[in-house]
Amino acid sequence: MSALLSACGGGGGSGADNPAPITPAPGSAITDREAARFLHQAALAATDADIARVKVLGYSGWLDEQLSLPRTQSHYDWMIAKGYQSDPNNANNFQGADNTLWRKLMSSPDTLRQRVVLALSEIFVVSMGGLPVPWRGFCVAAYVDLLEENAFGTYRSLLNAITLSTGMGNYLNMRGSQKEDPRTGREPDENYARELLQLFSLGLYQLNIDGTVKTDAAGRPQETYTQSMISGLAKVFTGWDYTQFNRSDPAFQRLPMSLNAGQHSGSDKSFLGITISGGTPGEQALQTALDTIAGHSNVGPFIGRQLIQRLVTSNPTPAYVGRVAAVFDNNGQGVRGDLKAVVKAVLLDGEARADPAAHPAGWGKLREPALRFVQWARTFGVTSPTDIWNIGDTSDPSRRLGQSPLRSPSVFNFFRPGYVPPNTSLGAQGLVAPEFQITNESSVVAYANFMQTAIQSGVGEVKGTYGGWLAQANDAPTLVSRIALLMSAGQLSTATLSTISTAVAGIAASSDVSRLNRIYAAILLIMVAPEYVVQK
Amino acid sequence: MTINQITRREFMRRSASLGIAGVAAPWALNLATLGEAAAATVNGDYKALVCVFLYGGNDYGNTLVPYDSASYADYARIRQTLATPRNTLDTTVLSPVSALPDAARQMALAPQLAPLKPLFDGGKMAVLLNVGALIQPTTLAQYRAGNVPLPPKLFSHNDQQSFWQSSLPEGATSGWGGRIGDLFLSSNGTSTFTCINVSGNAVFMSGQSAVQYQISTSGSIALRGVGSPLYGSPGCSAALNNLITAGNSVNLMEAEHTRIMRRALDANSQLGGLPSLTTPFDTSNSLAMQLQMVAQLIAARSRLGAHRQVFFVSLGGFDTHDYLVAQHPGLLASVANAVSSFYAATQELGVANSVTTFTASDFGRTLTSNGDGSDHGWGSHHFVVGGAVQGQRYFGTLPIVAVNGPDDVGQGRLLPTTSVDQLAATLATWMGVSPSELPLVAPNISNFTVKDIGFLAA
Repeated sequence: MSALLSACGGGGGSGADNPAPITPAPGSAITDREAARFLHQAALAATDADIARVKVLGYSGWLDEQLSLPRTQSHYDWMIAKGYQSDPNNANNFQGADNTLWRKLMSSPDTLRQRVVLALSEIFVVSMGGLPVPWRGFCVAAYVDLLEENAFGTYRSLLNAITLSTGMGNYLNMRGSQKEDPRTGREPDENYARELLQLFSLGLYQLNIDGTVKTDAAGRPQETYTQSMISGLAKVFTGWDYTQFNRSDPAFQRLPMSLNAGQHSGSDKSFLGITISGGTPGEQALQTALDTIAGHSNVGPFIGRQLIQRLVTSNPTPAYVGRVAAVFDNNGQGVRGDLKAVVKAVLLDGEARADPAAHPAGWGKLREPALRFVQWARTFGVTSPTDIWNIGDTSDPSRRLGQSPLRSPSVFNFFRPGYVPPNTSLGAQGLVAPEFQITNESSVVAYANFMQTAIQSGVGEVKGTYGGWLAQANDAPTLVSRIALLMSAGQLSTATLSTISTAVAGIAASSDVSRLNRIYAAILLIMVAPEYVVQK
Repeated sequence: MTINQITRREFMRRSASLGIAGVAAPWALNLATLGEAAAATVNGDYKALVCVFLYGGNDYGNTLVPYDSASYADYARIRQTLATPRNTLDTTVLSPVSALPDAARQMALAPQLAPLKPLFDGGKMAVLLNVGALIQPTTLAQYRAGNVPLPPKLFSHNDQQSFWQSSLPEGATSGWGGRIGDLFLSSNGTSTFTCINVSGNAVFMSGQSAVQYQISTSGSIALRGVGSPLYGSPGCSAALNNLITAGNSVNLMEAEHTRIMRRALDANSQLGGLPSLTTPFDTSNSLAMQLQMVAQLIAARSRLGAHRQVFFVSLGGFDTHDYLVAQHPGLLASVANAVSSFYAATQELGVANSVTTFTASDFGRTLTSNGDGSDHGWGSHHFVVGGAVQGQRYFGTLPIVAVNGPDDVGQGRLLPTTSVDQLAATLATWMGVSPSELPLVAPNISNFTVKDIGFLAA
């Protein structure tokens, strides 16, 4: 009951004042629907086995089990094992990168980690669209490995890792940035300093712990930083470059960058209320800068809200953001930025777990096209017989998904957390809907066309496995309702289920071929239904 | 005063006040339903605007390059290794019909913009000098003193993209292309085809009521599962059509998804096959492919009943913090190639005088080098192309080439001397928007004395 009340409260109170609602203990009765719904937020799909596991362990227990799962073969190691480094041409292309990204999204057992890594890749954005560097495919692979490695560590460690990664170093141009030169007028590159503050840590405006914007006496938002702070921070990020660069071996792409002290700015560096004196060694200056940024009170609500948006709902109440931010600030054992605790707080919160019927009409999130595709793949046990996962780039909005992992058009991600679809009732109610930024007249049709083929024929050699569904296909209503449970957590209305069942039943179940057509039709009709497309 | 006129004034009052407050207009307030009187004047003719947005912030310093020896020397000294060699500029030096105020100054197009030189020479292209986002005319002293309102979050990509496109901060839900569209919705046979985006989603193209229709470079996409029996089953095709268009959702996001799907299916059935053109476009150039689709849509204007249209195309990659010398020339070559093909296509269609194309970008960049590129700036130079353009001219004020000079807010970031609102108002006026309606399009225009920069013939 307390969970329901909290979920309906609509926010307003500061999160710090509201203790996190109690979540069901292991052993309490979790229904199949509830388990599937939880898995749609926490994982990449809900299979029968996953649902059973959640029911046995409870939500918290399932998360603990997932959090303790070891990482599977890294992206980088897989690419080496597949020999992508043997072809010198691959120094200048992304061969293997999409393959390994789809591989882990579709088949790695650590589904919570994979889901969170995808979310992190949409906050700490590096994209194949901006890496014109040697061994660029390995550069992306190593970057995602690093997100995996740090996904359940601390925010501060994650920040250190991405800052010194060659992926981010190249994408936002910190690598090779040189100290200022008064003689030529050359200035340090400001790109990473700016986007680090704007997108990866603080955002533009001072926030309360519940994510609402702080205002001054005149009601104006207060900015978090100025252009001169960007210039000051940019000086910290001078002098960093590849470690052990070797044009004929990609190994350097997974080493943290190292400092060339001769190119590090010797000026005082002022930002966010501190000044790092010019004589400070570069490595130390960097750590001080990251400590300062990671310690800022904006980080909890800024990052916490985005994680909620990526996993649960586009418009969390301020109270929900506040509860997650409070855990970010202190995991209960005095540790700040414990991402493991933050992820649990996001997924176990009363607002995430409350019956969707209790939520307002704007609650939930549009499922990302890439997530829908991965969900189909996992739900129907796709395989890649030669382990090559040749799905490729799915960015084309007129023929494929209009989205492809690690291929955002810019550092601003596929969509912005504050995106408001114009001319909509959502906008009129002050609601954001980030995923609608990549949802348009081309993409909605292309998605249906793409899935129609993928469900039946697969993509490349990656194909669904439907043998286990043939028996159920004889009974259309059972088939449809079972797939609807797995894919939509039972969120399709009776009318929609009836429409689909009737249509599927119209295909005679006279042979395995026609039974397969029933299965294909049931999956596609569910996956285009608006009640499925929005995760609630 | 008729009821329609009253309704229209009420709409204007509400829109203007809402626009200035930066709040979305009520979504249900649909100008198209207010009747003919809600539209600006159209006399059965055709006009279109085409915005070519250069995402990332185009480097003005290497787009329009100082050529006279004194300015070039300053440019080369500031740009260091980024400087374009002077001898590569010899054939793209611009000879305007009237000299710059400082007659000693000469400017050249980047060598890769050579395909645009004949358009300038032929009077079909003008150069807009130092345009950027402003709320009101701003002097360097005022900028430094911080005593005039400035666009929020200068130098930030998403915020300045938003301000360029909408004259409002990020989070805005309408842009000035869409707001021009608002005024012409009822002039067009099908309001859907008033604002067409061939490059995805941009706030520029959304109006208070105009919705941007997003189309691919290969046209509208047909839904295969409805076009032919889904997995062999006509009944499943019918169910597919029913599910995606039913529109009985309570959930707001579900309802919005259905709205987009319906629009997609309706537009696809209305567009049908589009005419092809004989003018060649470079199929390896994404901007050229987008502009080819614009030309094909313009070719179908009569069948679609279109009298006023706004189009949006874009090219990314201009955020040249690194690799500026390696990558920027290729980007400019793509722009020049695509825009010159598109102008030729408008000639083929006999609409060259009715279509005005203009470039835009997040911001300009620094003139100083960071060793391998330049950083986020503010004002920048832009181009307008079309038969109605008063071409072979410069409009605006050419900045002094200097760091810490009179136009510099730091590292050669230009303080704009012409505002985006003035550009928007000039284009809107040409489209037929009346002076009293300009604030609906360009909310800051009342702060500027000059409301028509003059680069378009009436």
